[in-house]
Amino acid sequence: MKHSAVKHSMSRWVLVGYGIYLAVPLYWLLSMAMRTNADIAGDFSFFPSAPTFSNFVEIFSNPVWYQAFGNSLTYVAINTVLSLLVAIPAAYSFSRYRFLGDKQLFFWLLTNRMAPPAVFLLPFFQLYSAIGLFDTPLAVALAHCLFTVPLSVWILEGFFSAVPKELDEMARIDGHSFLYFFFRIFIPVNRGAIGVTLFFCFMFSWVELLLARTLSGAESKPIVVIMTRTISASGIDWGVLAAAGVLTVLPGILVVWFVRKDLVKGFALGRVS
Amino acid sequence: MAQITLEDVSFRYPGATEDTLYGLDLQIENGEAHALLGASGAGKTTMLNLLSGLLSPTSGRLLFDGNDVSDLPGRERNVAQVFQFPVLYDSLTVAENLAFPLRTRGVATDMIDGRVAYICSELSLGKIRDTKPPSLSLFEKQLLAVGKALVRPDVSLVLLDEPLTAVEPKIKWKLRQTLLKVQKDLGVTMIYVTHDQTEALTFAERVSVLSAGGILQTGTPTEIYQSPANEFIGHFVGSPGMNFLPCSAVPSTTGDRIGFRPEWAALVDEGHVDGTVTRVRVYSTQDSKAHGLVTLMTPHGEVFVRGNAEFETGMEASVRIDRCVTFQGGNRVADIAHV
Amino acid sequence: MVLIVAFSAVIPLMTVVNYSVQDILDFNTRFFVGFDWYRETLNDPRFIDAFWRQIGFSLTVIAIEIPLGIMVAKGIPKTSRYTPLILILLALPLLIPWNVVATIWQMFARPDIGLLGVSINALGIDYNYTASPIQAWLTIVAMDVWHWTSLVALLSFAGLSAIPGPFYQAAELDDAGKWQVFRLIELPRLRGVLVIAVMLRLMDSFMIYTEPFVLTGGGPGNATTFLSQYLTTMAVGQFDLGPAAAFSVIYFLFILLFCWLFYTSVINRDET
Repeated sequence: MKHSAVKHSMSRWVLVGYGIYLAVPLYWLLSMAMRTNADIAGDFSFFPSAPTFSNFVEIFSNPVWYQAFGNSLTYVAINTVLSLLVAIPAAYSFSRYRFLGDKQLFFWLLTNRMAPPAVFLLPFFQLYSAIGLFDTPLAVALAHCLFTVPLSVWILEGFFSAVPKELDEMARIDGHSFLYFFFRIFIPVNRGAIGVTLFFCFMFSWVELLLARTLSGAESKPIVVIMTRTISASGIDWGVLAAAGVLTVLPGILVVWFVRKDLVKGFALGRVS
Repeated sequence: MAQITLEDVSFRYPGATEDTLYGLDLQIENGEAHALLGASGAGKTTMLNLLSGLLSPTSGRLLFDGNDVSDLPGRERNVAQVFQFPVLYDSLTVAENLAFPLRTRGVATDMIDGRVAYICSELSLGKIRDTKPPSLSLFEKQLLAVGKALVRPDVSLVLLDEPLTAVEPKIKWKLRQTLLKVQKDLGVTMIYVTHDQTEALTFAERVSVLSAGGILQTGTPTEIYQSPANEFIGHFVGSPGMNFLPCSAVPSTTGDRIGFRPEWAALVDEGHVDGTVTRVRVYSTQDSKAHGLVTLMTPHGEVFVRGNAEFETGMEASVRIDRCVTFQGGNRVADIAHV
Repeated sequence: MVLIVAFSAVIPLMTVVNYSVQDILDFNTRFFVGFDWYRETLNDPRFIDAFWRQIGFSLTVIAIEIPLGIMVAKGIPKTSRYTPLILILLALPLLIPWNVVATIWQMFARPDIGLLGVSINALGIDYNYTASPIQAWLTIVAMDVWHWTSLVALLSFAGLSAIPGPFYQAAELDDAGKWQVFRLIELPRLRGVLVIAVMLRLMDSFMIYTEPFVLTGGGPGNATTFLSQYLTTMAVGQFDLGPAAAFSVIYFLFILLFCWLFYTSVINRDET
């Protein structure tokens, strides 16, 4: 059976080439994570001469490391939950009661995104110090909301608008209260959209460095900070650093894996065109 | 234009447990207007894709003018297709869209201009020659799609996949008429796929009725209507379809059942079958008498009779069958022109 | 809920604008200086250098990532059982903390322990991105391409997937070539997606901080010091709020300007 009209053989090679380009540095990270520092400092080799998990053990046993991971996961989780809590009702209102048009919503999102985080360093630093939130995961989570909430509202509004208003009316006619409708009908219908939004919130919050670093002091150092400070007197501990790197890639893989179906569906229906 | 032959063609999708199309035998003459009539799921789209080259038959052969094209890719078959929605190049003007299939084949510019002008006049596209599709109405867009399909003078076959679907309902007839006209004028072999029997029966010289992956009957619209090959066709074609009664109701017939169209019967005092009027729909008056469709409930089920509608619900009447077709085991046995 | 968001964005911005027009010696001693800081920043040679470096960088990476992303997207099979796996692999670089991206490239490109660094030097080329400005640039660009092309590819793939099959079928029957299919069918339908992709890359590349900072620290010398890093050094290191604030406002306005220019140029073309 013949498939689609135009053959994409050159593009296929580009994809393969690019896939290799993506994979090789990742392999190298993994390979470094499995070597001892002696191995790294010694002769150069493509494969680790004696693969070891000692670096990972170091991370799991050293509170500096595992607490940092904990801090990061904390503020990412808080940010995601907060963003969804704010964005879902907001997006619902926007989709049902058009007091802010689609264009304005997009513009608001864009302007927030356009401001370099560096611009917010000072004000946030002062603000959160003033209200005593400095050096807590909450501060970072809130700061990230600046970017994740508009994005979430935008994504969700697009999906919510596609759900016909008749659904709301039918529920009302059936005698259900608004809360019942919202939590038992509307949200489940939009699981895919929420999955996509969750993915983007996580993605932004987990990867960001500048704000996370600025708003954390001694108590709540996130993993991104610990990694950028791993320069001791004896030089950089590459093995442990690489292991930490590997561990920061894993949550991303997990999140993507869990929402993969929603993502594919979301892409197909979504706001991109 | 070409003669299209399907020789025992079957097709099964990879991974499927059954054939989607099995043992199709069909010959369409050069320049013929042919319709493929069938309900959704009957296999119409698969058959279209086999003809256009998107799919290759799993067994059997497909011949254009006697040449085996079964494994030829679409671009080498010289086929054109009109889809359910207008498939056009939005960044090109109407004239450029029309010229496109010729330019890709390296036809000389003056020949292209001439041909484009001809198609424009044939389809009255002249006024919008230099407009781009996004500014056109759905009707104009689909018309352009038809033009694009006809632009190559040597096109073997033009396939139409329910082309009226996207057009505004009030103008569907206009597109239908245009299609009829250009088919006659250009003498192109056209295969028109639809589930709508009115479209099929008014457009085509011959119709093939498709059901569950097989061709049930191929014939002229008259043949299909008046001598359906089996009870399914008798029921599917016509609005409403054929009435069916056991042969015992009409003494001079042999077989299992007879089928008769609503206009082949009349309501009298004493006919073949008695019944009670359940519904009267009046459509016109003739000789100052109401004319229309009367629904009767008889011991054998509902019967529709077209003609004199001077009845009211609840009245008793009798159906006299003047003409019918006899069936045995679901298949046609004989046409009985005078009962 | 609108309040929370306003809280997030508007107040800090107002604070920044506030600082930008004052000379703040300490918390209680401040003078209104109008546009002095703005003038000073715009005339600061290091600002101007960082600005042009930034423009060069943004234009370079966009010029590479957009076409490359589209080509990669075209290579992704639409209906294969491997498609989800491919999409996940492509999504990976987007999910890695930005400092880790830089660390990965540090480990990869260093001439002493890096696979790439060692390999290039083994070929006879003297490669050390910490010493040579050109090599630093190349490495940073390579890193950014590694990091962000996937975004363009995934967005383009979504756009391409939305194109109905009949368009390709019709092109096949028209005997259209691959380039014509791209130019007449795919590109027009990718326009919305590509506008988003270019704007996102424009904004993000203009604001880039972490990756170059971790990889080269802005060096050698100032060779790879882009705007964000310069601003951060000023704001955090020197505690001179006034000029830093003015810088911030100028920075933001430039991004706004470029996005607006790009957006209106595309929209205008749409309307003709």
